[in-house]
Amino acid sequence: MSTNKHEDMQDRYYDWSLFVRILKYLHPYRWSVILAIVLLFAVSMLHLAGPYLTKIAIDDHIKINKLEGLDTIALVFMVVLTTAFAIQFFQTLLMQYIGQKVMFDLRSQVFSHLHRMSFKFFDHNPIGKMVTRVVNDVEVLNEMLTSGLILVFSDLFTLMGIFCVLLYLDWRLTLIVCLVFPFLAWATRAYRVRARDALRKNRAQVTVLNTYLEENLSGMSTVQMLNREEENFKQFRSINQEKLKEDLRSIHYSSVYMPSIDVFSAIGIGLVIWYGGGRFVQEEIQLGVLVAFLQYIQKFFEPIRDLAEKFNIIQTAMASSERIFELLDTPEDLPNPENPKALPTLKGEIKFKNVWFAYKDEDYVLKDVSFVVQPGESLAILGATGSGKSTIINTLCRFYDIQKGQILVDGTSVSAVDKYELRRQMALVQQEVFLFSGNVLENIRLGNEMVEENDVESVAQMVHSHQFINQLPMKYHQEVREGGSILSLGQKQLLAFARALVIDPKILILDEATSSVDTETEALIQKAVLEVIKGRTSIIIAHRLSTLRHVDKVMVLKNGRVEEFGTRRELLRKKGAFYKLYTLHKEQGDPADTL
Amino acid sequence: MYHHIRSFFPYLITYRKEITVGAIALILTDLVALAIPWILKNFIDLLSERPAGSELLFYALILCLVSLFQALFRFGWRKFLFGPSRKVEFDILNHLMQHFFNLDATYYQKEKTGDLMSRATNDLRSIRDFVGLGLLIFVDSSLVIFCCLSLMSLLNPTLTLYCLVPLPIVSILFFKFSRSISKKQREVQEHLARISSRVQENLSGIRVLHAFVQENNEMRKFATLNEEYVKKNLQLTKLFALFTPSLVFTLGVSALIALWQGAHQVISGTMTLGDFVAFNGYLIMLSWPMMGIGFVFNLTQRGLSAMARLDEVFSSMPSIIDTAKKTGSAIKGEITFENLGFSYPEASGLALKNINCVIPKGGRLVIMGKIGSGKTSLLCLIPRLFNFNTGSLKIDGIPVSEIPLSVLRKSVGYVGQEPFMFSATIRENLKLGNALATDADIQEVIVMSGLQPDMERFPQGLDTLVGERGVSLSGGQKQRLALARALLRKPEILILDDAFSSLDVETEEWIVSQINQKIRGITTLIATHRVTGVKEAGQILVLDQGTVVELGTHAELMQNQGFYSRLYKEQMLTREMDFFLQ
Repeated sequence: MSTNKHEDMQDRYYDWSLFVRILKYLHPYRWSVILAIVLLFAVSMLHLAGPYLTKIAIDDHIKINKLEGLDTIALVFMVVLTTAFAIQFFQTLLMQYIGQKVMFDLRSQVFSHLHRMSFKFFDHNPIGKMVTRVVNDVEVLNEMLTSGLILVFSDLFTLMGIFCVLLYLDWRLTLIVCLVFPFLAWATRAYRVRARDALRKNRAQVTVLNTYLEENLSGMSTVQMLNREEENFKQFRSINQEKLKEDLRSIHYSSVYMPSIDVFSAIGIGLVIWYGGGRFVQEEIQLGVLVAFLQYIQKFFEPIRDLAEKFNIIQTAMASSERIFELLDTPEDLPNPENPKALPTLKGEIKFKNVWFAYKDEDYVLKDVSFVVQPGESLAILGATGSGKSTIINTLCRFYDIQKGQILVDGTSVSAVDKYELRRQMALVQQEVFLFSGNVLENIRLGNEMVEENDVESVAQMVHSHQFINQLPMKYHQEVREGGSILSLGQKQLLAFARALVIDPKILILDEATSSVDTETEALIQKAVLEVIKGRTSIIIAHRLSTLRHVDKVMVLKNGRVEEFGTRRELLRKKGAFYKLYTLHKEQGDPADTL
Repeated sequence: MYHHIRSFFPYLITYRKEITVGAIALILTDLVALAIPWILKNFIDLLSERPAGSELLFYALILCLVSLFQALFRFGWRKFLFGPSRKVEFDILNHLMQHFFNLDATYYQKEKTGDLMSRATNDLRSIRDFVGLGLLIFVDSSLVIFCCLSLMSLLNPTLTLYCLVPLPIVSILFFKFSRSISKKQREVQEHLARISSRVQENLSGIRVLHAFVQENNEMRKFATLNEEYVKKNLQLTKLFALFTPSLVFTLGVSALIALWQGAHQVISGTMTLGDFVAFNGYLIMLSWPMMGIGFVFNLTQRGLSAMARLDEVFSSMPSIIDTAKKTGSAIKGEITFENLGFSYPEASGLALKNINCVIPKGGRLVIMGKIGSGKTSLLCLIPRLFNFNTGSLKIDGIPVSEIPLSVLRKSVGYVGQEPFMFSATIRENLKLGNALATDADIQEVIVMSGLQPDMERFPQGLDTLVGERGVSLSGGQKQRLALARALLRKPEILILDDAFSSLDVETEEWIVSQINQKIRGITTLIATHRVTGVKEAGQILVLDQGTVVELGTHAELMQNQGFYSRLYKEQMLTREMDFFLQ
């Protein structure tokens, strides 16, 4: 809690390369972007027309009491307004369109990238963090692209436009007014340095504060059980206090800087009054010029103030983009081979040849594992927790790459073929059945929408799920919510069997659930297991001895090594671990199960 | 609505002095700002009289001086209006956190963390903006509008009237747009929430999706969802794209009228040139407050609904209330359940029915039963995470509700199936159990929890950071760490709620034997699916659908030939299997 505060504090200054990388996302839409900027430029210029028309009205009409032509000016003004309105409307639409497109691209890219990550990545990264990348960070970046960046452009254009008009009206007067600029630049710089520091610290504090809040809310019962309410509140308060301190500091800076612009503006106006007034008296400039000058000077300082306010948005967006890019730069752990060997329809031979595997460093979970499963054969793997059972499955599906040895499917190494092609011919039933939001039908066929509803039904019948599905109020169209609370544990397992069988896999892998279900469902599950392994290569991680009745071969794993391997009969003759289990089983005298 | 606002007044009242200073500074800023066009007017009118250089300098200096005051006042309100809004935010957040700590399991069962987080962050920000920015712009805008209009009328009433003609359009536009904008905005928000939960679901089920090669399908589905989001956003954009330019346009029309009609009047001599310039100046000043009012409207809408949402949290009261007055003597550890009945708040069925059981001090009770049979519910009642409905639950003969919560919880060590670790070091996580624990104490519980071999592998030992929720730890490590944390409290009652589900049998057995040997006299309640060490338990209680179906010693229950003996045999086999294969 206290220790990771420092990590978060190391919030960096963002450099140009990051900014350039963001801009690259605009590249596919470059013509639209250019058009948007041109339109923006036009709008900014048109908005400057007002004071200029005032000048003309004063100099060419009011001063010389000439009425005719005044209506033309009004008409021009009206045209300017209407055009500005139309352009601004179009420009806003265009810019938002670009922003949305970029956001779409970026979000899809992050999402796809996540799907390319390996299980190893998901083992280490909390889900909440990744959701934030795809959802919130992209959103922040979009805000910067559409409103932040555009407003910066429009402010810059306005500044430049005003400056040019001023030069055109009277360059001497403009140069005099320019005397203010060095001081303005100095003040802006002084403000920016301090504000950036305060904002940076503030943002870091907000992160710490939110993390702490989230952590305490999620772990509230732990906090309360441990009587930590007061202590944790004190800690929370002190983090909050730190945040408030930075908040007030940045408010203080802007409270000094923003009014200082008023002063600069007033000095500018003062110079116009004094010097410009003098020049008018000497008849060197016209009154209209003077009035226009006064109006423009007032407009000149608005964008400057605006730019200072925009600073915050851009800084936040930079932080978000950095986090997104960090994720996008995480390399794919298990890239597909560049020239994958063709993988014809599998016969289903599985061969492990001296396989060594470690999740981390030299901590081997599989040690020199070798075995062969013939096509159509079924193998049950027995072993204690941590003996490497699940790891065999994970490496066979190539969710992880092995360090030494070879895993061959029909004689071809799993790392030499297209991993998607490989997995498409396998079906994996995991211990914990995960149900997606959607209906039963969608949960069985997943994304394979070409599978007909009839086929799903007949598969469900085979694995004895049809009966309970038919009893649901909406049958196959019954919505199951995430977690699937309307279905019992056993029913979920049956559903998972249907899910596996519907793709008619060449290799079936089943990680039996450890949790016990009621006797009737258990009997159904046993029957279903028999059904799914029929006629295809199957590997079952067995947690029930009764399952062993159905398989051709048994493998006993111990601490990552193959302890025993063979048919049931062979292993019984060997009088090893399997034999001990068997006798124990007999002693317990469960008549339902005979090995 | 208004009673929601009322509950937030006290926060403002705390800073009434600062706010008053800020408000006065704001009014002064506006008044001074109004003086500037007036000065310019006099200056322009003066020009026709061919003033001397010193007179011009005088005007310039007056203007700078006025501006200096304006800057000073502006500094004042920024500091004293924005400042308190942050302080109010700080206070509300502190109060909220305090309230969160008071609310109990009943509440957290009902509310999602994500939602509470959003109230504490987004809603709070809306309130801060409403209180700070909203109030400020409201005061500022109404003042400026009022003064500008008065001064304009003073300069030229007919021209003012002409210029006002297009302005009602602004408000009509505004009310029309704001309704559809907020509706569309809500749709966009809801869609974003859908995207968020889709991503969440995808990541939770990533192992299934990858095993079934659903990557491309999911990407396609996500693209569709994303496209819809873009579409909804663009609809909203269309409204915005129309809204802002129409405001600018309407104000532009006013300026046009001022210029056109004003020029006519100046030429015809009914208006001086200075008046004309000043009039235009005030009209320009009007443009911001006109938009400001719209902004305030928006802020108010959001602020009010945020206040309602926060007020909802504040008005939720914990159902567990610490009413016990006496400080209470130390708990010894005898537990009695008598006809205990319990149902979860807002649940229809009973989670526990008619539970009767006595566990003597130092006794050991094992609770078995299927998932959802009520094991956790029963255990939760001891440290009073929930209140029960009927019957009684006594510790040392005293009803739990009469024992001060702090005393009760101090003497209970609770280890759940999914223990919660904070992103801190191992030492800090352990010390949450007992802040005063010495390194020797910590070492002792680490050994007892079977963590010693793991500790040797951690690079920084006790100072190793465990990451968010303990991501860098395995499930088994977290469970053992939680046990160590509970043991560090030196509890009188130890509750292990399926606390070793991620451990292998051997480790579990070793830990259980350690607990049996090293700590005597602690009342222990164990809910488990496994039969490890069940034989040695004083009593075994089997729950099914919230009722006690069997209660007795191992030998008694085995004779019973009921649920337990079946479960035992089944489990024993698996256990033996594991044991043999180890």
